[in-house]
Amino acid sequence: MLDSLLSLGGLVLLRDSVEWEGRSLLKALVKKSALCGEQVHILGCEVSEEEFREGFDSDINNRLVYHDFFRDPLNWSKTEEALPGGPLGALRAICKRTDPGPVTIALDSLSWLLLHLPCTTLCQALHAVSHQDSCPGDSSPVGKVSVLGLLHEELHGPGPVGALSSLAQTEVTLGGRKGQASAHILCRRPRQRPTDQTQWFSILPDFSLDLQEGPSVESQPCSDPHIPPVDPTTHLTFNLHLSKKEREARDSLILPFQFSSEKQQALLRPRPGQATSHIFYEPDAYDDLDQEDPDDDLDI
Amino acid sequence: MAAVASCGSGAGSTGSAVATASKSNVTSFQKRGPRASGTNDSGPRLVSIAGTRPSVRNGQLLVSTGLPALDQLLGGGLAIGTVLLIEEDKYNIYSPLLFKCFLAEGIVNGHTLLVASAKEDPANILQELPAPLLDDNSKKEFDEDVYNHKTPESNIKMKIAWRYQLLPKMEIGPVSSRFGHYYDASKRIPQELIEASNWHGFFLPEKISSTLKVEPCSLTPGYIKLLQFIQNIISEEGFDGSNPQKKQRNVLRIGIQNLGSPLWGDDICCAENVSNSHSLTKFLYVLRGLLRTSLSACIITMPTHLIQNKAIIARVTNLSDIVIGLESFIGSERETNPLYKDYHGLIHIRQIPRLNNLICDESDVKDLAFKLKRKLFTIEAEVQKGVSRATFLLDGPRKKLFPCLFQLLEVACIPWLMASSSIFKASNIGLSPSYVTNSEFFSASLFHF
Repeated sequence: MLDSLLSLGGLVLLRDSVEWEGRSLLKALVKKSALCGEQVHILGCEVSEEEFREGFDSDINNRLVYHDFFRDPLNWSKTEEALPGGPLGALRAICKRTDPGPVTIALDSLSWLLLHLPCTTLCQALHAVSHQDSCPGDSSPVGKVSVLGLLHEELHGPGPVGALSSLAQTEVTLGGRKGQASAHILCRRPRQRPTDQTQWFSILPDFSLDLQEGPSVESQPCSDPHIPPVDPTTHLTFNLHLSKKEREARDSLILPFQFSSEKQQALLRPRPGQATSHIFYEPDAYDDLDQEDPDDDLDI
Repeated sequence: MAAVASCGSGAGSTGSAVATASKSNVTSFQKRGPRASGTNDSGPRLVSIAGTRPSVRNGQLLVSTGLPALDQLLGGGLAIGTVLLIEEDKYNIYSPLLFKCFLAEGIVNGHTLLVASAKEDPANILQELPAPLLDDNSKKEFDEDVYNHKTPESNIKMKIAWRYQLLPKMEIGPVSSRFGHYYDASKRIPQELIEASNWHGFFLPEKISSTLKVEPCSLTPGYIKLLQFIQNIISEEGFDGSNPQKKQRNVLRIGIQNLGSPLWGDDICCAENVSNSHSLTKFLYVLRGLLRTSLSACIITMPTHLIQNKAIIARVTNLSDIVIGLESFIGSERETNPLYKDYHGLIHIRQIPRLNNLICDESDVKDLAFKLKRKLFTIEAEVQKGVSRATFLLDGPRKKLFPCLFQLLEVACIPWLMASSSIFKASNIGLSPSYVTNSEFFSASLFHF
């Protein structure tokens, strides 16, 4: 799934950390989309252009459109090749282009942008860029826009990271074990459950992506994960089970408040308020139906 | 015998009880509604607007929230002039559904809609509203969907607790066609209903240019624009009574999506100590003032899981009238918990208003879970820890409340417990109050002698 990250469009957030860096994955994804023939724009803010282009062959280097904000971020040299509006202006200019076709924008890095711009402005700009293909009204059919943002999650608190991940369509968190890198990919589709998946990979020297199986899991002394469901009726000091004979005996037991079925039905049927009340009398087993007055036997 | 007869009449009348009479009323006095406005002298004129009804508690005018189960939990519906705040779930899957049901209810009843969002175009939101289940064919569909997994054990005739076998298993039956409808989440609302409705949309990126300067201690520009927009609509269309020529009064339903997220320009989700932390609370205060003076009701969804400062959440809760939190099980450890396997998440009702009342009309059932079935969104009380101790005796379904309790008695065959009427004083609707404590009592009494 790692190789089809860009096909979904929208904002793809690459969260890396000090142990597992993400720039090589970013460059691998950039190379892949350049080879697919898409337009690739790079907003380089954190590293110099030479360092970013290092490792790509000239074919790919010719296809990348690089916007350099590393050398002169505040435009002090006032040259005419500086883009107005800073990085966000460059982003909006990319989106206002008229030629159709899918575009990939790589932001290197979002952390730099978060530290230099207010978070809300950045969120609004990213949302406008990544959702541009869904809004109609423009005359030219604009192709799919994918925005790849590299975020160093250790630099920021939970607030900005949470805000950006709620905006992102796909979130890739880099981790790994024993020298092998893994990417935990969380895919949020608009109205469906998010799907997540872990993919082990490695980046080859020419920045192509090599998907791998995970490292061999050594046998750990772990408890049996499948615990059989506990039956609470065992080990009790009293018996909770009924044998068949006992069940029959129980079913034939006459309950003290058992009524005849007609009285039961009469009580169950909702009566709409009666003026008179009925008296139901069923003689019990011990009732004496003798009409004689037992007081007659008294000899006074 | 006399005690038994009175219990019987109580149980008999529950079969026809209206679902709104939920509290254990010890008195049989019922407040009569205001008389119809036939005479033009005494008595307040009854405002009869389509899709509203007066509350049986305090006469407040209510509108349906779009989910009859939620209406019942809120005491009949959402009162006009109040704000319903929904705290979104983490991946924002279920709160848009509640939002859309509210709007769809407005379209079906002919109310005017005002949809505000910073994320999606309101026209797109309206296209995705769920289709209402209006006629009897769909009601049959609804019934079969609901009773789809009724297990055979629930049909056992009870021998001891036979009075209660007529009680309805579901607390909500089919509703009258004028208040509260069911919606099919898998179908879209028909296009002609949308076109026949009157709606206004507010999409923030269109209304605001991004270079406005924000003064400190004031509302963010997005909020100011939204408040002005709402105020314009209310005064132009006469929802606050300013247009006395209008004969047919109508209700304005306002829906605001993702309020407080960074897309609205508010940075309470981005940092803990924000410079302008009162923007959202001022917005809610002004909004509530606008709502109280007009015939409107508002639903707001807010991503409170992103808000860093808990004090802001507390203030926002105090400034809203009804607050409902959705917690979905996706991605949390509760997803694999067998107690929750039938549900998709929990609903927490955090606040219910006290409108012209000393007490609020809270439901007695506090453990509520929701699930999104193939078509419907249902809210049920989940059978939780208190009864799980006794469930090994039962084969019955764990979802249903009172049959579960009485099957416990059937199995244990302790009829003398039925006689203690202090526990089983059958109130109007039955035994939904304190079912947890009852079952704990029984499990304690069964196993400790």
